[in-house]
Amino acid sequence: MNAAPSSSPHLAVRQVAKRYGAATVLDGIDLIIARGELVTLLGPSGCGKTTLLRIVAGLVNPDGGSIELAGRNVTNVPPHKRRVGVVFQSYALFPHLTVAGNVAFGLKLQKLPRDVIEEKVARALSLVQLGHLGSRLITALSGGQQQRVALARALAVEPEVMLFDEALSALDRKLREDMQGELRRLLTDIGATAIFVTHDQDEALTMSDRIAVMNKGRIEQLADPVTVYSRPASLFALSFVGLSTQIPGTVSEASGGTVKVDTEAGPMIANGHFAVGSPVIVGVRPEHVRPKNLNPSNDTDNAITGQVRTTTFHGSRVRLDVMAKRILVSAELSNLNTALPQVGETITLSWPAAETFAYPAPPTTATGAAS
Amino acid sequence: MTDAAIKAPAASRQWDRERLAALAFTTPALAVLIVFFAIPLALLFAGSFTGPNGLSLAAYERLLGTRYYLWTIWNSLRLALFTTFFALLIGYPASFALARARGVLRSALLATLFLPLAASVIVKAFAWTILLRTDGIVNRILVGLHIVSTPIRMIFTETALIVGAVNIFLPFMILPIYAVVAQLDRRLPEAAATLGASPVTAFLKVTLPMTMQGIIAGVALVFSLSVSAYVVPTLLIGERYPTLAQTIAKAFLLAQEPAFGAAAGVALLVIAFATVTISSRLSRAAGTK
Repeated sequence: MNAAPSSSPHLAVRQVAKRYGAATVLDGIDLIIARGELVTLLGPSGCGKTTLLRIVAGLVNPDGGSIELAGRNVTNVPPHKRRVGVVFQSYALFPHLTVAGNVAFGLKLQKLPRDVIEEKVARALSLVQLGHLGSRLITALSGGQQQRVALARALAVEPEVMLFDEALSALDRKLREDMQGELRRLLTDIGATAIFVTHDQDEALTMSDRIAVMNKGRIEQLADPVTVYSRPASLFALSFVGLSTQIPGTVSEASGGTVKVDTEAGPMIANGHFAVGSPVIVGVRPEHVRPKNLNPSNDTDNAITGQVRTTTFHGSRVRLDVMAKRILVSAELSNLNTALPQVGETITLSWPAAETFAYPAPPTTATGAAS
Repeated sequence: MTDAAIKAPAASRQWDRERLAALAFTTPALAVLIVFFAIPLALLFAGSFTGPNGLSLAAYERLLGTRYYLWTIWNSLRLALFTTFFALLIGYPASFALARARGVLRSALLATLFLPLAASVIVKAFAWTILLRTDGIVNRILVGLHIVSTPIRMIFTETALIVGAVNIFLPFMILPIYAVVAQLDRRLPEAAATLGASPVTAFLKVTLPMTMQGIIAGVALVFSLSVSAYVVPTLLIGERYPTLAQTIAKAFLLAQEPAFGAAAGVALLVIAFATVTISSRLSRAAGTK
């Protein structure tokens, strides 16, 4: 089953909608996933990501739309006939069964011969490196081990898609980072198709082939991690993934996908299609912002001058926060060879227009910036 | 508890202090139980083996050798079995409803369940006799709705007895089951479903075994309460259905046969003790499976 990611849709979510009373939880979600692809639904709590995952699993019925899995319309198929594997945040292991009993649960329901079940249980447990713990009770395991049992249990029945509902969030940081790498390798090796639900951007960036950034029941951006990070499709995507500086302003010139924006800190050049006069937010990632004397290129389209507020040491990099008028601009420097500016010092920061993006200003921010 | 104490490392000073504290906390309860329960029980036990000429098994011979008294033992068991069965049938789904309910509904359900516990069992049994008597409200409704043409005899029937007993002992079935159900991770049946279990299979293989300890506790409680019930059968069925508890009362209060009453008491104690022993065995088995 070492299928490479192909373009044929393995899982197709079409126009899925869900309302709870007056609240719209999901609003016309479309998501096409190829076999072998690892996709993350990333967003804050309440954005609908878990509801979407539960709809794919069949644990929640959508109000509208359809779900196709492996060429079969499963919209009205109950979960036990869907062939989906779910790893829950609480793991939901059966405490009255042993480790092997948990992993064998789904296989026994398939009425497989005993020796086949034993072989599959052993294989699933060795896949998650728990081959030696089969006879243990669930309650005798650590959180990380329980996580692996939940994974082995879901994998053992060879589901069409693996669904992870905040599955790593209960682990401590070091273990979580180890598990991220290990899980990605394992899923890629067996050619599994998987959807992760998380609010952890690092998890999304490291684990996925594609990320769906979700907000208020919609997918705001669906792209590979590099694109999501470096070309955020919306102000929300820019804000939710990674750090950014955001400067409100008004478009004063516009031509061919580039706009000039008047801001309190001076004019800025940014990417974006807007009419002259539109209120916008200009955004840039801190790693593109440099003190002017350090800027490697001559591309210094955008610049501001202000006072250094704080310098924060992060080991491999240093963060510089500069206050220009009422605007706080962050720069992240990895080059430690040059002496750092002192707090209170007046410096000029600059960054290329190619890394600057303009987004429509949300109504409240626009009035706030005008004052 | 004793097992844990024996297995504990003797060198652990921390543990010793904990054990001392535990002992200090249990001493008052232990003293009360010894003085007011264990010693009278020992006297009762000794008394059951006395006859007119000293040591004797006459009381037991009479209890276990007379058809009438075997019938009373059977009546007690029969009442307990029926009551436990119907209480479980009603109480198990009710526990889930209670655990899943939220807000006002939950408060209302809890109040409905637990407020009757504040009323005396005599009051409740007597209320049932009023409800079920020939010109009682139940018969009037049945006649008024033309479901029956003449009032039917309900009071002093076994049905009335079971209905009353189930009603009175139901909270003791619901409480322990509810305690377990409320702790149940709702993701567990979902996990079973995604692994291929139909709702029925998920219930039988996951929910039922995981709530078994609550069921066993509830069954043991209701069984031991209803097997020894005195007020409920006396008021709801009376002489037609003599139970072990009534036999004991009669022996002590009317017939002045303390040895015979003590023997009947010991018989009831054996039944209760067997219930507790069997249920704790089952409970341990369910817990470690």
